[in-house]
Amino acid sequence: MNNLMILANETANEATVVNEFEQTLLRILVVIIMFGLGAGLTPKDFGSALKRPWGLVIGWFTQFFIMPLTVYLLIVSVLIPFSSGEGILFVALGALIMGSVPAGTTSNLFTYFSKGNLALSLTMTVNSTLWAFIMTPAALFIYSNLLGLDESLSVPFSELALVIVGLIIPVGLGMLLRKFSANVGAVIELIGSVVGLLFIPFLIIIWVPRNWQLLLTTEWPTYVVAIGMGLFGITVAYYFTKLIKVHPMNARTIALETGINNGPLAIAVIVAVYIDNPGLDQILLVPALYSLFIVLISALVTLVFRRANLAAEQKIPNLL
Amino acid sequence: MTERPWMKHYPADVPKEITDFGFSHLPDLLKASADEYSKQLAFTQVMPNGMNGSLTYKRVHEQSDSFARYLRDELGLKSGDRVAVQMPNCLAYPVVAFGILKAGLVLVNTNPLYTASEMIHQFRDSGAKALVVIDMFADRLPEVLGKTNVEHVVTVKVAEYFPGVVAGVIRMVQKVWSRTLPKVTVSHTKFKQAIKLGSNHATEVVEYQKELSSDSIAALQYTGGTTGVSKGAMLTHGNLVANTIQMIAMNGTYITPGKETVLTALPLYHIFAFTVNLLGFYHSGARNILVPSPRPPSNLKRAFENYKITWLSGVNTLFNALLNERWFQESPPKHLVGSAAGGMSLHDSVATKWKDLTGTPIVEGFGLTETSPVLSFNPMGGLSKLGSIGIPVPSTDIRCVDEDGKEVPVGQPGELVARGPQIMKGYWQNDEETANSIRDGWFYTGDIAEMDEDGYFKIVDRKKDMILVSGFNVYPNEIEELIASMDGISEVGVIGYPDEKSGEKVQAFVVSSVREPSKDEIIAYCREHLAAYKIPSKITMVDELPKSPIGKILRRELRDGMTSESKGA
Repeated sequence: MNNLMILANETANEATVVNEFEQTLLRILVVIIMFGLGAGLTPKDFGSALKRPWGLVIGWFTQFFIMPLTVYLLIVSVLIPFSSGEGILFVALGALIMGSVPAGTTSNLFTYFSKGNLALSLTMTVNSTLWAFIMTPAALFIYSNLLGLDESLSVPFSELALVIVGLIIPVGLGMLLRKFSANVGAVIELIGSVVGLLFIPFLIIIWVPRNWQLLLTTEWPTYVVAIGMGLFGITVAYYFTKLIKVHPMNARTIALETGINNGPLAIAVIVAVYIDNPGLDQILLVPALYSLFIVLISALVTLVFRRANLAAEQKIPNLL
Repeated sequence: MTERPWMKHYPADVPKEITDFGFSHLPDLLKASADEYSKQLAFTQVMPNGMNGSLTYKRVHEQSDSFARYLRDELGLKSGDRVAVQMPNCLAYPVVAFGILKAGLVLVNTNPLYTASEMIHQFRDSGAKALVVIDMFADRLPEVLGKTNVEHVVTVKVAEYFPGVVAGVIRMVQKVWSRTLPKVTVSHTKFKQAIKLGSNHATEVVEYQKELSSDSIAALQYTGGTTGVSKGAMLTHGNLVANTIQMIAMNGTYITPGKETVLTALPLYHIFAFTVNLLGFYHSGARNILVPSPRPPSNLKRAFENYKITWLSGVNTLFNALLNERWFQESPPKHLVGSAAGGMSLHDSVATKWKDLTGTPIVEGFGLTETSPVLSFNPMGGLSKLGSIGIPVPSTDIRCVDEDGKEVPVGQPGELVARGPQIMKGYWQNDEETANSIRDGWFYTGDIAEMDEDGYFKIVDRKKDMILVSGFNVYPNEIEELIASMDGISEVGVIGYPDEKSGEKVQAFVVSSVREPSKDEIIAYCREHLAAYKIPSKITMVDELPKSPIGKILRRELRDGMTSESKGA
């Protein structure tokens, strides 16, 4: 069993290449973060996202049309022509799956830090996760056919349900606590955001040393795909939403939601479906790399968005 | 009082005249509320992230008694001594301010953002013996104290009276994250310690009030910093009691005693929030939501989300800023009854948009520091005229007069002069200025106004800001309001500048928001709506306009050329 198999076995449910203890710790961190995000929200926030569902529809489109297409274009223009290794189609398959799954909680966290529309982000995550039952297999079917792979894949509904439950429960609890006490809510929100900040270096610290070998042996076209899909996904979705004149706050939200996909979900699905496939390690390659790099990319994008946000903010009256 | 045209416009629930204001001094007024609403919440301070603390009427009463004892029995201050207070809106503010008043001392409200030299001037001029200051701004004290008579310093934390854990978190954030806690190097007493020391004394606070009458000075409220050297307006207990009752009376049955929740986003050290929010709504048994800083306006989001705000006081800038906030547009406050605007003229466009969005009116009023401050208001329950400052509050007489002090005919502009129980005693140690501004019992406001046949007044402009173009009077307000009504303009300030041919010419300083109209577009728009001599001959695009603490645009600073053109334009 090589390195990647260890990765696959250990991370059957989580994106990061980590051991049992770290995995539990990560889960707890994510729950705390989601709890904190919830503690900053009221039902009103969701009301406006649901009252005017255009954001959801646009997000649905960018998530399941623009993102898989971006990945497909990266595969045919960079990955296949420039890769030398064997089994490159397995890598391509992994990339396609990564590009076709919906967004996860990471997108919510970065939306929060980018001062985006958090309620819209959470609603989009739930929405796209539900749609993933149909849309992820459909997108995969179309593009794998174009690649001549003829793959059909079903996403286990239980995995999707798990994502939604894991999101709704802590967020709901956070909202409830805030209603009960604004002070408790504010403290939890603060703790959540501090944990969220620590989450990024924590991921890198536990990921990089253990997968050093993987980083060294991976060919550059694979990097281009793993890094490019997040970066281009965010960029294309951002300019698309700007083009159709979505409010800047929602444009940032939709962009992050589109480019940041649910790494843990992709890995879980792959392991569930391809556990006996000899190419499993190659299929897992892009999702594993993506899970690391998307955190770095999102952190950079967040900095850019925050700066843009400052500049675009209305000129504030000079009140104390 | 003689019959005046506005008398017929007082709604049925508003008295034309108030013969007895009910209280001989502020401690009486404060005690009545504390007795009546004892167990109810009086103040809740809300931080931008929703963290909060609250005080009941009973607690405010007890704590301010302790603070009064500290000032008198511990520090040994004597009746009539001045105590400067320099803090943003926070729970300690009412305790400190009420404590000073109950101790028979004089409150000197001071802007916490003042520079060292402004502080020195105000402390020296008032002769303040003690200073209660927020610890965040205590780093200026070493430079200041030596040049003043201040002998005692009490430092206050912003999260005073918050639950322990929350206060700890706020303090940690201030220390570690925002680094807004300088080390206090001068000798000082912490607020909590002061309260504790005060509670060791058993003097009945009424003892301190024996020498108080309605004519005793309650506050030295400094003003005129925007037009020259700042002067202390002597506001007596009688002035402030009267104005509190007049203001509440003007709102008739729209303020339900014991039931309201008022959002206080304007600073309490400013006379508008001091009388209207602090005294007025405390007297009405309301819950006062204190926001330490409404800047940026998103700081108000949690306050609006977490509390059922029924009243709001603000200035044009604040209402406009809220209207531009997305969260405010999406869920405007549902329980709002009304809003009071003052401090600067309310733009018609803002008033109209506010009404459309919230379904409730902004009633505009008018007043000055020297008048405690309220002189006039549009009655909530009666005819409210857009662009008008309304009619005089009960027991107040207003006239527009010419240069000789003669009343001008209806519809003609003249200087607004006022008479009533809220007019200050005079300027502190400044008889010359006092004699200049109070003549034959009338206070000369320096504002040009017009009265219509209904007795409603309209401010044309500040006398000093009037621009004289080739012998024609040009009022900056008119041009400002016109330009501000253009799409994409967020703020505008208009002044005159010297010109050889016409004496003066008009210059506009413009801050534009998202869509930027060009200078030519602005000129073209003015051409459509204004006479030729009023059209700005110079337009300067700027990033920000200089403003006073409550958001009034400072034309004097514009004239002084302190605002430079923005690089983007």
